[in-house]
Amino acid sequence: MKLIVNGEQHELDIEQDAPLLWVIREELGLTGTKYGCGLAQCGACTVLVDGMAVRSCVTPVSSVDGASITTIEAVEQDEVGARVVEAWVRHQVPQCGYCQSGQVMAATALFKQNMNPDETDVQVAMTNYCRCGTYNAISEAIASIKEA
Amino acid sequence: MTGHQPLQPRALVMSRRGLLGGMGALALGVALSPRISLAQATGQAPADTPNPLEAILELRPDGTVFLQMPYVEGGQATSTAMAQLVGEELDLDPAMFTVECAPPLPAYVVPGTRRTTGGSSSVRRSYMPMRKLGATARAMLIQAAAARLAVPGAELATEPGRVIHPSSGRSLGYGELARAAAELPVPATPELRSPEQFRWIGKPVARIDGRDKSTGRTRYSIDVSMEGMLLASVKHAPRLGMQVRRLLNEDAVRAMRGVHSVHALAGCVAVVADRWWRANRAVEALQVEWSEAAEPGRFVMRADFSTAKAREEMRTADGPRYNAEDIGDAEGVLAAADKVVEAVYDVPFVSHAQIEPPSATASWNDAEGTLEIWLPNQAPDRFIKMISDASGIDPSKITLHSPTLGGFFGRHFVYPHSSPFPQAVALTRAVGRPVKLIWSREQEFLRDAPRPLGMARMRASIGADGMPTALKIEAVCDSLVASMGAAREAADPTAVEGLAERVYQFKNRKVDHIAYRYPVVVGALRSVGHSLNDFFMESFVDEMADAGGIDPLEWRRRMVSDSARHLALLDHVVEMSGGWRRGPYTAGDGTKRARGIAMASPFGSETATIAEVSIRDGEVQVHDIWTVIDPGRIVNPTSVRMQMQGGTALGLSLLLSEGLEFEHGKAVARNYDGYPMMAPYRMPRVHVGIIESGAEMGGVGEIGVPGGMSAAANAVARLSGERPRSLPLSKTRFAAGA
Amino acid sequence: MKTALRVFAILCLLIAAGVWVATRTPSSPFDGRPASAEISIEKGAYAARLADCVACHTAEGGAPFAGGLAMAVPMLGAIYSTNITSDKLTGVGDWTLAEFDNAVRRGVGRDGRRLYPAMPYPSYAKMDDAEVEQLYAYFTRHVDPVAAPNRPSEIPAPMNTRWPLAFWNAVFSPDKPYTPDTSKSDAWNRGAYLVQGPGHCGSCHTPRGVAMQEQSLDESSDAYLSGALLDGWYAPSLRGDPGIGLADWSEDDIVAYLRDGRNRHGVVFGSMLEAFNNSTQFMTDADLSAMAVYLKSLGPSSQNRRTIVTYDRADILRPADDAGAWIYATRCATCHGADGKGRAPSIPPLAGVSSMLADSPESAINVTLNGGGRLVKGGLPDLYRMPQMRASLTDAEIAQVLTYARGAWGNTGGAVDPKKVRELRNTTDPASSEVIILQMR
Ligand code: FES
Ligand code: FES
Repeated sequence: MKLIVNGEQHELDIEQDAPLLWVIREELGLTGTKYGCGLAQCGACTVLVDGMAVRSCVTPVSSVDGASITTIEAVEQDEVGARVVEAWVRHQVPQCGYCQSGQVMAATALFKQNMNPDETDVQVAMTNYCRCGTYNAISEAIASIKEA
Repeated sequence: MTGHQPLQPRALVMSRRGLLGGMGALALGVALSPRISLAQATGQAPADTPNPLEAILELRPDGTVFLQMPYVEGGQATSTAMAQLVGEELDLDPAMFTVECAPPLPAYVVPGTRRTTGGSSSVRRSYMPMRKLGATARAMLIQAAAARLAVPGAELATEPGRVIHPSSGRSLGYGELARAAAELPVPATPELRSPEQFRWIGKPVARIDGRDKSTGRTRYSIDVSMEGMLLASVKHAPRLGMQVRRLLNEDAVRAMRGVHSVHALAGCVAVVADRWWRANRAVEALQVEWSEAAEPGRFVMRADFSTAKAREEMRTADGPRYNAEDIGDAEGVLAAADKVVEAVYDVPFVSHAQIEPPSATASWNDAEGTLEIWLPNQAPDRFIKMISDASGIDPSKITLHSPTLGGFFGRHFVYPHSSPFPQAVALTRAVGRPVKLIWSREQEFLRDAPRPLGMARMRASIGADGMPTALKIEAVCDSLVASMGAAREAADPTAVEGLAERVYQFKNRKVDHIAYRYPVVVGALRSVGHSLNDFFMESFVDEMADAGGIDPLEWRRRMVSDSARHLALLDHVVEMSGGWRRGPYTAGDGTKRARGIAMASPFGSETATIAEVSIRDGEVQVHDIWTVIDPGRIVNPTSVRMQMQGGTALGLSLLLSEGLEFEHGKAVARNYDGYPMMAPYRMPRVHVGIIESGAEMGGVGEIGVPGGMSAAANAVARLSGERPRSLPLSKTRFAAGA
Repeated sequence: MKTALRVFAILCLLIAAGVWVATRTPSSPFDGRPASAEISIEKGAYAARLADCVACHTAEGGAPFAGGLAMAVPMLGAIYSTNITSDKLTGVGDWTLAEFDNAVRRGVGRDGRRLYPAMPYPSYAKMDDAEVEQLYAYFTRHVDPVAAPNRPSEIPAPMNTRWPLAFWNAVFSPDKPYTPDTSKSDAWNRGAYLVQGPGHCGSCHTPRGVAMQEQSLDESSDAYLSGALLDGWYAPSLRGDPGIGLADWSEDDIVAYLRDGRNRHGVVFGSMLEAFNNSTQFMTDADLSAMAVYLKSLGPSSQNRRTIVTYDRADILRPADDAGAWIYATRCATCHGADGKGRAPSIPPLAGVSSMLADSPESAINVTLNGGGRLVKGGLPDLYRMPQMRASLTDAEIAQVLTYARGAWGNTGGAVDPKKVRELRNTTDPASSEVIILQMR
């Protein structure tokens, strides 16, 4: 199977139904993408597949064969992603930080589709849990990207 | 681990003798410059080398500092605060610091601090010790510079990262001086800056870990990797105390792709494989016949335990009863009173639900009899003892790493059966290779130590003036400290905090703890007893005020009238929220809204909070929270604001939607789908006010939890006319108010 | 007077005949015949897989085939499946082949008492003698004895009187095994036999009549397998109905579904998950193809609304405008896709699938409330399962999101009433996240 992650092509001998999350973490050693629930509930595992936010724990690797996958490790190479990261740093969003890879990826996908999202767009895109409760800071960071 | 020997080991290490004046015999290592030679000798970047010098503070040749702090960073921004405290006195920008949790060895003890991260205590306990540490290092750098420049020390000053000689315009970078400084004697009483001079303490200094955490670079326990490492997943017995009797399909599971081995361990089965997801799928496939616990025990989960039944029993439970506070004659006054208000409140078990599931990476070296282990924990020295006790390995042969925590909220304290380390140690010994064990979310829900299920039975008498004349509270819940192993024949302070010793000036009051035992290992959740008791108390305050026909703000003012500090808090929060209006009223968007108010005094800090809510389709919406904290003094206003917002989010989640129910001795929820936390879109705007009253420093990390939830509960009662007495509110459909 | 006497005499006769019908032990082709000596364990086990005996005759955590699984009878109470292990006292260990046959194919217990038709003997009646002998051999010789007394039903008197079932049987249960239709292919006949007989597909998929009987037991009526509601699940049509049936499924799709539990149209869930986990995955490819041949020969049913589905991406609502669309976007889209296409075969599509098209919303509501159980193929658990939503969504929200999904992308399932959600919330439980593998031995 061929997997394109962060612009690099990988040839993998792996089960068709292997979850993308674990392929990223264990086959490719990219541990910035996190495991939280394995059940599409928390969003810690969010990555971009062809620019769209996807919860990698419920993404069978065979379903992204040939697609372009971006993980947090390469998010700053994306112009929008870099802006999101800057906003996150400037607004001091992370606390424990564990959910933040997923939050940054979700926000990047949001802005890649629409640089001027309305409230509903934001609510629909930003559904990842943060147990530290950084939601206010996330809102501020997102607002700052919109204004910028 | 011990491959790198410093070239001049002893000469560069400051002796572990009395270092900070007046604090008794000290065990502190401060290495100021070991790495010049190290880096050159090995060709390695300093950051990759271990720290053979047992240095708490290590000033590197490039002028950066590596600080090994007593605490674990798990989101509280403690590492940033430590950099601010040390940096302030050392005169070095906090951004130049790398901060990690120190290993659990006596050499790393900073006098005056604790090695337990909890109780919202890290920053306040180390406020002076860490400043002294920085001041000591600065004094030594100045001394070294004086020698180098051949001028008296008194003529020297510092600017961030440099010692300067103003009259000659000469200066030396800290990096250049570190080595020489390390060889100097340690000054007994270094001079501290006065607060007016502070450049970093009390300022909104940026988190030192913000960028790494925004780019996925921070490494948590779950990310640890070792040469030759195998991965493991476990399946716990469905009820605590049960053991493996028989595996029905072991051969089939062993034949699955990637599986290395199958193990029956104490109270669980494990599969070791080349990949975690394969190990996890295999262990799920394993068919296990469990046997019941051989004998009943404190934590043997009974097959008939259910939270519904426990709640029923708690309504009438009568003992063992321990008194926590008894002032005046509450019983007598209540018995004689004309007007009595009564209420029973209850809250469910709640899970920590930190997003990083527990993991442990263990590597047993059979030849040397040594164990290296990475483990999420918030008390390294307690854990190393536990690991030693459980494994029989001498503590001196154990290297324990305590990485950054992916959230903890009290999860990684020393609760029986709730840490993965015994399994990881058993597995690395069994397979002879390093093993990383990760608990799946489902397995975590089975072994988390939840916040106690609790109930409060409240009675108050109301006098002719509408104010209370007596208050009696019975707090019914298990003892958290007993759960953690301390046998106790007294009220558990965590069971009554928030109920007893409140600021409200009741003349007659009595608070009892009725220790109702359930077969669940309970744990401390962010704000501990305050997460339930403040909700009970502040709700009942409003009930007392309503019964007496007194406005709840006015009631609170009168009850704290002796305390300027508390009156100031109330004034501040009222002002911030644009003036007190209890409602109901119609907001700009046409919704009916009401406000509630609450006070709380957790962990040495004081708060007052106002919440505004509306009700849509029977569901509570919280719009705004105004909360003011007075922790006496602060180190970082941004961190304080973030912690208050985060704590408020957790509290609201407890109020609105969380609860862990048990049926037939089993937790019903096994993943977040059965355990709904507050959805992100429901997060209100949380406006934080900070008062630095100068009082003794209080905590910050857990302080936000009780205020918002209690104020919001009071607002709901006001708006709907129904007093919420049982959480979470999602159980109830509320009326939208008159 | 005479007339009265005559009426009385006829009545007496009728009652006598009735008592005879109701209490007699019917005849079996095995009467007085000993069981064949040599039947391999594999053959017996295969027969038991075809008939899916383990699903009902094994209680959660109990020994295989020791019975005790509670089954709710609507409005009456619970009945418990029986011990069919080789135990001589409490199981079927010392039953004769004829006695066993009478229970399996005619619903008559060893003591002459009628079995409740929770036991699908009207279907099993179609099994041939060889199949019955294989089952007999399996349970009496190969399944370990387990001493477990049968648990009496909890149906109160007088509703627990069972002799009237004899009349029910006389009317509704066939009395002879499947007879091949010589005008059809061997595969068709084998498929018909499996579907109608041991597979008892009609038990769930054929609508029931006023007496709870299946409206038809074979293809002679187009009510057969035309879809039915049972136990809070809507078992879709297995006929050539478009959308809610198998019109768009190829034979290969059907085989894949029964063999792997998933195909491009969907993943097994609800009661079908159990049928897959315990039965269909163990069938040979030849048998599965035969079933597919037979099912594909069934035309659409006149009882069903014609549901023509055309995938339509354009008609979905914006989250800002519709509460259901909003919930879908935040809770469902991450797996099933904003386009409703899922990630088949791991994660099923919602566009154009029976649960989103059927008039009965029960399956959609049930799986949303309770999530999916674990699909286990060849001992290997699935990696992806449907989470439960009962804890995080209200009745109104579930109704909203399903109303949306049943109307999006060209779906025509129709709106969902929150009251229906409430009803199912109260009568169902969340699916277990545990992997449950029922061992046969
Ligand atoms: S780990 Fe994927 S959503 Fe939680
Ligand atoms: S920052 Fe800790 S979970 Fe989000």
